[in-house]
Amino acid sequence: MLALFYPVIGALLLGLLVGFVGGMFRGQSHSSLTLPVKGAERAPELIAFLKAKGITVSPAPNDPRQEVRKGSADAVLVIPKGHKVDFAALRPAAVHIVVNATRLSTVIKVARVMEHVRAYDRQVGQARLADHGIAPEIATPFKIRSINVGRSRNLAGFFLNMLPPFIIFTIFVGGVYLAIDTTAGERERGSLEPLLANPVPRWAFMLGKAMATFAFTLTAVVVQLLAFKLMFEYIAAGEFGIKVNPDLMAFIAVALISLPLIGFAVALQIIVATVSSSYKETQTYLGLLPLLPSLPGMILVFVPIKAQIWMMAIPTFGQILLIGRQMRQEPTVWADIAVSVGTTSLITALLLYIAARLYNRDQMLFGG
Amino acid sequence: MIEVQGLRKSFGGTEVLRGVDFTAKDGEITGLIGPNGAGKTTTLRALYTVLRPDHGRALVDGHDATTARLEVQRRIGVLPDNRGLYPRLTAREHVRYFGRLHGLGGVALEGRIDRLINRLGMADFADRRSKGFSKGQTLKVALARALVHEPANVILDEPTNGLDIESSRAVRELIREIRDQGRCVLFSSHIMGEVEALCDRIIVISDGLIVADGAPEDLRQATGEVDLEDVFMATIAASEGHEAHGANETVGTDRA
Repeated sequence: MLALFYPVIGALLLGLLVGFVGGMFRGQSHSSLTLPVKGAERAPELIAFLKAKGITVSPAPNDPRQEVRKGSADAVLVIPKGHKVDFAALRPAAVHIVVNATRLSTVIKVARVMEHVRAYDRQVGQARLADHGIAPEIATPFKIRSINVGRSRNLAGFFLNMLPPFIIFTIFVGGVYLAIDTTAGERERGSLEPLLANPVPRWAFMLGKAMATFAFTLTAVVVQLLAFKLMFEYIAAGEFGIKVNPDLMAFIAVALISLPLIGFAVALQIIVATVSSSYKETQTYLGLLPLLPSLPGMILVFVPIKAQIWMMAIPTFGQILLIGRQMRQEPTVWADIAVSVGTTSLITALLLYIAARLYNRDQMLFGG
Repeated sequence: MIEVQGLRKSFGGTEVLRGVDFTAKDGEITGLIGPNGAGKTTTLRALYTVLRPDHGRALVDGHDATTARLEVQRRIGVLPDNRGLYPRLTAREHVRYFGRLHGLGGVALEGRIDRLINRLGMADFADRRSKGFSKGQTLKVALARALVHEPANVILDEPTNGLDIESSRAVRELIREIRDQGRCVLFSSHIMGEVEALCDRIIVISDGLIVADGAPEDLRQATGEVDLEDVFMATIAASEGHEAHGANETVGTDRA
């Protein structure tokens, strides 16, 4: 039961992360916002404008800079002396917004305050132009709009890129204890010697252990994919502002792409467990094994690279790229999948052959 | 029938077997006796197919344990040096598992399992998981799984090692019973009393060589000793003395 705990962790983490980050954004963009203002009496129209936009204005602390640095206020609006005079004289009147850019959680709040202050700035500016008989559009030469063509938008895309490393890790960890226990463990328990005296070819024993490990790993991967799918359903249904939910076909494709890699991982595990001299030693080696293939995935979270077909021939790396594509719902390139499945299967067959040879050695009994 | 011809085996440059020859006939109990590290376990391992000899042959009913592994495995029942159990399987499941590995199944297998459980007095723990079994219980399970396919040749490595008197006696009775069915029993021991009580034939191995081979009575006559323990000491001493005078070979210390 404990063995199925890990595959679910990834999805739970994702849920927590989305819940937290999404909640933060949503909470700040919809809920009422309290803004401490210093010198509010110097710009009554601005304050009235902000209040009309749903901002609650509160008295400012004595030392706004200190308070914002400490974090007891997210942002403070300061209307300096001279503002009233400059404003009345149609000169640019100073307005200061004290923020702490190192505090990520205040980003949204600060952006909202900035947006409203700018909106008022624009409104007043346009009114003044109109007073002088000039069309306000003259002061707005650009109409700027950014268009994001990413299939899954911004933050959601980041979450999707987290998936391949999680899945690869499960592939290399899901059945590892079974591989150790049925080889090094069986040796240490003293049950290997009587077993090998039975009229069964050694390669059949090896294949049996490999298949059990394969089945176990596959179960872990399927459980993990289901957990992720459920989590995406939950996230997409909730008001997290993240509308991304790879369809069921994508998850099935990921499972199929993973199959040869599971075989590859299992064969590697059997080989390591066979040549190690003890349970502990095997544990150490196999504990390090999943780190290696996970590395490219971790990097791909931050630095997307352009996939070439030869990359598909590298076990683990190819799968990371292909799983990522499926999760982002990009078009399926069958040639890439064929290369990945083909080469990984071939390498797996070779590894199993080596494992069978290793099982035939006298050292099988003693390890090493 | 078990035959061993010119068996040699080295581990990391140390020659553990230096040309072992003997025969264990059907309908006889043959005891392989020798000090710790003499090569008893290595000889038996070569016979039950888990080690390959460097030279020589280990034959079971005429089949070579190296070249006809499966043929040999079908004809032997083995209680190896390592007799570990699977902690999550019950005693009965252990016996059933090994029966299946020998191609048995169904009612016939279940019948054999029941008979062995009764014969070895395992009824009270037959359906318990083996985790926490005593030494005696573990050995009974290991014996039952070695005998479930009713092999013509039975190879037992120190079968009574660590057992109490009652269990040892039960095992000895079982060994006699197998002999009386005309099967071949080869077992190793370093307990003289046990060998004396059981064996039709004694093979003394020391430092990788056979130093005495014959019926207990013959060995007594050859050495002039009455007590078999003295016979044993005499043959070992004779072989070591011979060696010290002979070649530049050294007397081995503790070996696997």
